[in-house]
Amino acid sequence: MIDVLFISSKNSPISAVADAVRKLEDAGAGVSFAGSVSESWLGDLTDKVEFAHTHQLPRANKRRAVDLPYGEQVWLRCKTDRWLRTRARTAHVLVALDDGAVYTVWQLAQRNRTAKAVFGFAPALNAVRDINEQGGPARPGPFRRPVSLALSDFGRAFKRIPDATERLLTPRPVMRRSLGARLWRLPLRAPGVPEALRVRIGRRVAEAMYWAGKPSGGAYALALTASKISDTAVKAELLEKAATKEFKRGVDPEFTSRAVQALLANGDRLLGEGKYEEAALALNRALVLGFHRVSHIDQLSSPLAADAKGYAEQFHRSPAMKTIMTPRGRLRPPAPAPADRPLRLLVTTSQNDNFLFHILDRYRNHPEVEVRYLDMAAQQSLRKATGSDWRVLQERLGGDPEYADTVEALMRPHLDWADVVFLDWCVGPAAMLTTIDPGDTRIIVRLHSYEAFTRWPQVVDFSRIDDLVFVAEHVRDLVTEQVPQLRGPLAPRTHVLHNAMPLSDFDREKTPDARYNIGLVGISQVAKDPLWAVEVLRLLRAEDERYRLLLVGGDMDPRTSRATRKYLNNFMKEIEPLVKSGAVLRLGPTDDVAGRLTEIGFILSSSVREGCHVGLMEGAASGAVPVVRDWPFYAGKVHSARTLYPKGWVLDTPEEAVRRILEVNATEEAWRDHAKLASEYALSTWDWSVVSADFDELFFGERR
Amino acid sequence: MPGAARIDGAPGPGRDGQRPHLIYLAVGFPPAAKSCAYRMRETANQFTAQGWDVTVVTVEDESWELDSGVDHTLTEQVDPRVQVVKLPLRRDDLETDIRRYSEERAAAPYPWVRALVERQQKVFPEPSFGDWRGALEDAVLRLHRERPADLLLASCVPYVNLAAAWKLWEEARVPYAVDFRDGWSIDVIDGCEAFTKDSEKGRWEQRILESAVSLWVVNDPIAEHYRARYPELAHRVHVVRNGYDADSSPGRTHRPDPEAGLVFGYLGTVNFSTDHLKLVLDAWRVARGRDPLLANARFEFRGHIGNGARRGSSPHVDLIHAAEDEGVSYGGPVAKAEVAATYARWDAMVLILIGGRYVTSGKVYEYMATGLPIVSAHSIDHDAANVLAGHPLWTGSRGIDREAMADAFVQAAHLAVESTDEQHAEAMAHADRFTREIIMSAAVKQLVNELQVGKTQ
Repeated sequence: MIDVLFISSKNSPISAVADAVRKLEDAGAGVSFAGSVSESWLGDLTDKVEFAHTHQLPRANKRRAVDLPYGEQVWLRCKTDRWLRTRARTAHVLVALDDGAVYTVWQLAQRNRTAKAVFGFAPALNAVRDINEQGGPARPGPFRRPVSLALSDFGRAFKRIPDATERLLTPRPVMRRSLGARLWRLPLRAPGVPEALRVRIGRRVAEAMYWAGKPSGGAYALALTASKISDTAVKAELLEKAATKEFKRGVDPEFTSRAVQALLANGDRLLGEGKYEEAALALNRALVLGFHRVSHIDQLSSPLAADAKGYAEQFHRSPAMKTIMTPRGRLRPPAPAPADRPLRLLVTTSQNDNFLFHILDRYRNHPEVEVRYLDMAAQQSLRKATGSDWRVLQERLGGDPEYADTVEALMRPHLDWADVVFLDWCVGPAAMLTTIDPGDTRIIVRLHSYEAFTRWPQVVDFSRIDDLVFVAEHVRDLVTEQVPQLRGPLAPRTHVLHNAMPLSDFDREKTPDARYNIGLVGISQVAKDPLWAVEVLRLLRAEDERYRLLLVGGDMDPRTSRATRKYLNNFMKEIEPLVKSGAVLRLGPTDDVAGRLTEIGFILSSSVREGCHVGLMEGAASGAVPVVRDWPFYAGKVHSARTLYPKGWVLDTPEEAVRRILEVNATEEAWRDHAKLASEYALSTWDWSVVSADFDELFFGERR
Repeated sequence: MPGAARIDGAPGPGRDGQRPHLIYLAVGFPPAAKSCAYRMRETANQFTAQGWDVTVVTVEDESWELDSGVDHTLTEQVDPRVQVVKLPLRRDDLETDIRRYSEERAAAPYPWVRALVERQQKVFPEPSFGDWRGALEDAVLRLHRERPADLLLASCVPYVNLAAAWKLWEEARVPYAVDFRDGWSIDVIDGCEAFTKDSEKGRWEQRILESAVSLWVVNDPIAEHYRARYPELAHRVHVVRNGYDADSSPGRTHRPDPEAGLVFGYLGTVNFSTDHLKLVLDAWRVARGRDPLLANARFEFRGHIGNGARRGSSPHVDLIHAAEDEGVSYGGPVAKAEVAATYARWDAMVLILIGGRYVTSGKVYEYMATGLPIVSAHSIDHDAANVLAGHPLWTGSRGIDREAMADAFVQAAHLAVESTDEQHAEAMAHADRFTREIIMSAAVKQLVNELQVGKTQ
């Protein structure tokens, strides 16, 4: 029997493991499994695959492994595991199932000198076949490190003595206590400490705090250290590390602006030294941190909403960013629409075509338009070009003409063909596309709402866009405030066009109990703030227990960010008893929103921000009475939900929402009257039959 | 003014009454279990048949074990007069023997490979192969010293072969031709320029092509790209399609048995994305639910999946395993000698291809030659569609769309059961003009002629 030992550091597809074990057994091997993997996955694995032996390897890291490559971390966890050493001593084939397990196999193979050591299933099978061809496995020798490895391990341990000593002085129990942590922070604050020493201590204290499970203390130590040093590169690195760690755990750190400023200063310095690539990377990191989704998208507020201009100005003060944001314009104006042939319209986006179906459908069937559709995510080279955010910056700084050549090669054929390009979503592809002069092709970009809270509007060269389409006035205001180019002489024309929504199919007969069903369509983002809707329901049910809340749509994805996960967990906890009692119905995702809306008598918009809230508009068209929160991101501004929707639909608080619902629903007749009015308004304002004329005007320059 | 390579004053093919000598840089020559092996084998055989002595330069068999494996049955049909020189070169990035790893590599395998790839490109601008340059250059110089060559033919990939061709041209003025197959400066998958003329790769390509006797590519769109990029070389660009080997064709040996379940098959290297595969499997699922004829049908995947540590165990295999309940299975690679027998068990073929108008693939010819119904799972304007146009049992090019592919599966099932022997024969006849032997014989003749013309100029 040939003994094969699988070593794994992460979950592998179980079917692949099962298949490999079957083939190895057919070849005369017995397979054992050792994994530094989750217990639940190991349980699933052993349910489906019968190994000779299985063993769970330790999963907790050693502290000294924190900054080591993952493979070394795995080895440090497992190196003293008795089961592993015993099995590895006699194994004939040691197999790493993933990259994290390779180093452990390498180390074991240094000790068991006769075993074959391979990476992957197919090589394992080959190794077993080789052994069979050689007449069987060799007898294992003594299980010990060769002298050379022992010496190199000793040398490494010697070099790590200072680190090890520092770690001894900052043990977990001490750092967990606030007194211990405070004592260790003293040298970070103390005057006269040499900068290099202060940084070294700062890093060690931060490491110790993270290790002790005090991440906010770790971030604080890094930020404090950064505040006391003058080296721009080190300052930027420390603050970026601190901020990144905070964002990772879903926290919006207080020192984001300091981190942004440090990175910008470092970018300016690098640019001054002619280091374009490094400068672009630093500026890109500043933008990523400054417009992080945890600060602006996965929260119920955003500093951009409070003061967009002021917030963005921190970037505009940087000379390097000024260079990036300098409009380069176009050599020729766009050619007028052709009179002698159909208009060539290139509709493009990157993956997200949710709002394009009806536009594509209309113009594909339009005799005066020839349509091509380009999904930039479907083409590897374009996907790579749109994903190279820092290269856009480097090109703008003057240090990457090759990037412009690449974009030229990728996009010029499309620009040469098209009379008009309609690019949906003002994100990476817009930044990429405006790297080059569009020639005489007219460029239209649509900006929905999400993009206003990202870094992209700071990076797009709007002087190479002819028409910028918004879905609402309040979004236009917000973006214009934060982007100087949009207020300058080369700014594009701006338009507000509603989304393409065929709403007539939504106008259906309501079910008899719809009057007491409050609906919320779309709950997959924190910005939808469904807890506000739950509060409305609570207050309503205090008055009348017949009211229920119907949630339509998929849940938030907890993997989006830790901030999202926090909100989702809180939300789930809140609604659990309400779901049990039947007060909340989670209807989940559906392809038939119109069908679901027949059960809904009131449609809510509980969001903190929206572009136009399609779910609300569809609900209104269906004859559900709209109840709209005055979206806090825009409330009180020149344009907001109050200017987008008719008077009476919008209110400030859950109490006012309840008042409106109860008043409207005082009688069935009143509810029906309000519903009819809402439906008529929606259909006459937002239905695609009406809005399509605006798109005709946009593309052709006249109504058709 | 650049011109094709000439050997002024040198004794040409047939010097001193001897057979002329070809050095053929063909990394992927049998027994490598790669799709290019068939083309290379036929090229070498045709040169031999047309009076040349052929020395093939490739890499040791062990190297293919790391890649897509070896298939010794492929070697059986190599003309025994062909001399094969196997260089001790390996794809270090695909190494799976951990005893060959340095400690640094073992600790962080992927970063180590990234650094390796960067180093390789400093030698020649090609990842994974760039550092083979020195060994290939030395090999062709040595072979030429041992037995003077009259022509060098470089088959790409790897493109580093071009450096060796150039070296022999520079040092000994041995004329050379390039079998570019899918080209270099064209990204055949995305259908756009892969690199600009003034990039390092661009400069290499231009320099090489300016002096090449001839340039072969596998289809018209790629040829058009090269003719447009280098108008002055347009006359030297030739389309040499891949074609199929007559012995891979199963003939009409199998009758569909709907009671036992129709069998759809895919045979080839799995190089398409998991998203692409998911769509095909979704369409298969929909089709099985749509038509009773498919309710008990099976869908077999055969061929190489993944390389290096992931050989045979990539995410594609997981997707296929996950569709087991829908009659989908993966049976591993097929030896060349068993290809015809494998086709003979199937009732319809599923042609899953990446890319678009610049990709033809070798599979399409072999699939056509089976005479079986073909379901296309590729983009609408794919070059394979041009080759298939007129095939009586093809369900048409409908794009990578779930519903359209589901319809095509249903249509193919009916074609499998309802088609006549005449239709089957007509379908096989559609492939006749693409027999590899015919294509390569003509290509070799033309190249030899071009060489002669070059010499007399």
